[in-house]
Amino acid sequence: MLVNSHHSITSLELRPPFGRLLKERFIRWVFMVCAFFAVVITFATLGMFVAESLPFFAQVSLGEFLGGIRWAPLHEPPSYGVLALVADTLVITAIALGVALPLGLLSAVFLSEYASFRLRQVCKPILEVLAGVPTVVYGFFALRFVTPLLQRTFLPQLSFWNGLSAGLVMGIMIIPLVASISEEVLFAVPRRLREAAYALGATKFEVTTRVVIPAASSGIGASFILALSRAIGETMIVALAAGRTPAWPPDPTRPMLTITTTIVNIATGDHEATAFIWSVLFALGFLLFLSTLVFNVASHVIVRRFRERFP
Amino acid sequence: MRRSWRKGLGNAFGVLATSGLLLALLALGTMIATTALQAGKLTAMDAMAQAGLALSLRSVDLPGLGFLSYVVAAQVDANSAAAQVGLSQGDVIVAVGGRPVGRPNEVWGAVKARGEGPATIAWIPKPEKLWGRLQAVARPERAGEFCVTLTSIPAGSKAQEAGLQPGDVLISVGDLPVTGTRQAWEAVVAAVRSGLEEVPLEIEREGKRLKLSLHPVQRTEIPFQLDFFGAWWRFLTRIGDPRYPERTGLLSALVGSLLVVGVMALFVFPLGVGAAVYLEEYAPKNWFTEAVQILIANLAGMPSAVVGIFGLEIFARSWGLGRSVFAGGLTLALLILPQTIIATREALRAVPRWVREAAASLGATPWQVVRFHVLPYALPGIFTGFILALARALGEAAPLLLLGAFLYVTFVPKSLMDSFTIVPLQIFDWATKPQDGFSCVAAAAIIVLIITHLALNSLAIFLRNRYQRRWT
Repeated sequence: MLVNSHHSITSLELRPPFGRLLKERFIRWVFMVCAFFAVVITFATLGMFVAESLPFFAQVSLGEFLGGIRWAPLHEPPSYGVLALVADTLVITAIALGVALPLGLLSAVFLSEYASFRLRQVCKPILEVLAGVPTVVYGFFALRFVTPLLQRTFLPQLSFWNGLSAGLVMGIMIIPLVASISEEVLFAVPRRLREAAYALGATKFEVTTRVVIPAASSGIGASFILALSRAIGETMIVALAAGRTPAWPPDPTRPMLTITTTIVNIATGDHEATAFIWSVLFALGFLLFLSTLVFNVASHVIVRRFRERFP
Repeated sequence: MRRSWRKGLGNAFGVLATSGLLLALLALGTMIATTALQAGKLTAMDAMAQAGLALSLRSVDLPGLGFLSYVVAAQVDANSAAAQVGLSQGDVIVAVGGRPVGRPNEVWGAVKARGEGPATIAWIPKPEKLWGRLQAVARPERAGEFCVTLTSIPAGSKAQEAGLQPGDVLISVGDLPVTGTRQAWEAVVAAVRSGLEEVPLEIEREGKRLKLSLHPVQRTEIPFQLDFFGAWWRFLTRIGDPRYPERTGLLSALVGSLLVVGVMALFVFPLGVGAAVYLEEYAPKNWFTEAVQILIANLAGMPSAVVGIFGLEIFARSWGLGRSVFAGGLTLALLILPQTIIATREALRAVPRWVREAAASLGATPWQVVRFHVLPYALPGIFTGFILALARALGEAAPLLLLGAFLYVTFVPKSLMDSFTIVPLQIFDWATKPQDGFSCVAAAAIIVLIITHLALNSLAIFLRNRYQRRWT
């Protein structure tokens, strides 16, 4: 269609040759397909959860599932009260956040406001590396070090598997996450705010607690929400250290069963794959998926707002 | 006055903030230190295994004495140092280097404390070697009761030294009345464990009661070699025997980890870079692009348990891949892909706009701009992100635990459809085993995992510092 007419200046064509256009289109299309994968996977996950947990919700009412406190799917008659699991999960999460939020925030304040530039340059990569330490390592630490230590010192009645040491160690695991996100938002608070406060005679403490932290509060909040979502979804630490029996009322000195551990139990158990227990797995997965989704979206939106406020 | 109070508060807060970071680092340091300490026993365990011994814990509840644990030689290799001094399967080890031992952990502790060279091992021969086969014989004079008699005394045995003869009836051993053939021997072990060298025996011979004393303990010297590097090398390069911690190995988990992460990389790298290039270089700014970005951010935050369920249902069951290396790699890819996309986008975003504009103004097509101008500059950043993704993938256990990867396989996976185990799952398996020694091999495997993690992270940081261009 296009004639390559280098000999005739009058028919000079600015459009690239058709072959190259086709190639460009093709490449663009390939990249788009790659990006589209994320959409496909998300909707496939959602679809899978809805479709596979339908048989469960056809038999067990939503009220019984969310309101019941007795989790005994293999007993006769079975009982599917997820509240016991949710309570255990939340207690362990609360312990973890009790450790991670203060320590993480203090570390962030130190790094952003007090540490010298060099120290900050050294500490940030260390935090990044620590944030990536495999979770099974933390689980081992909880089971083989923290629990025996607590048994020897403060809590002789602590059982071998317990929610307390799982929660404490999970908190240690989450510290780097909270610290690095909070540090970033604290550091991003514009210098002019600090200087204005100093000009009014505020001390460093007052600048930090009354100006910088409030200005960064939404970002810090986002890091807390992300920590929450991480703690709820954490699997290996609780599977190793928290035990496999639900505790009602929740008691962190006794074995506890979280949602994630229940999923592991069902998936690795020797139950018939076609059995009803399989749809229980999907119902629990759905619950986990939805709750972490809500927290992740919330944190995403908050961080975005923060970025828009202090670009 | 007031001014100094305010200053003091500020200083206190500074100290508090500093201690926050220090406490966090301290907790993590403790974690690594205790793990290393636990793994330190590996050398002693290996020394024992190299001497030909695999140990296991037995315990017995003797009426009148209570609960008692002792160490038994569960396996003795032929032609090993242990076999040469006469130890065989079923013998009980009661002391090493003069330290009494009641469980395998104490044996290894004693070997470690003893150090290199020969150590004296005190042991009680198994019943057949100690006093031959015992027989429970009904007593003709009292109906319903039976007595334990010796049938034949092995030549050179401790029983012969004590003067026992075939046909003798054992009445009591170390003040415990004999109630069974096995119990009689366990009473000997109990007496020795309580500190007796000489076990008093009461027997009945031809109607008469006699008192004898048995010296059941044998002492032999076994040379132990505490070979740190050898121990680790053997641990890393054998599949081993999963029943005994001193003979188990990490090889199949290492190979499994490499294969699974390799399969993952094959999918994640092209897809992740492709998606990032589209979003960063091609995508129009509209609601759809925005939605895709939010979806990717959410995928990155999805709990690994949820990813595991997806892998189990879609890859393993619907696609019929089962618990294979291939299914494992795909599941991991699902977990790592969003992270790679985000890291690659950040690397692409760091390339300034004018590079693209300059190339385009010279007539480069969009693909040419990306291929010859943007990607070369972004490559170090992309690689850094990719190495970090690999580090994370090597440590992920939860999705593959759900997928049903085997906790221990006794072979090295050879094809993509073989079943497999990976290092973190192997650690999970060992950490949950109650027997002595497994927590030590779990700690050793953790050391391997952490060193790999640190090495990959250092490489990433090095790449970032070395090759990342600063645009001013």
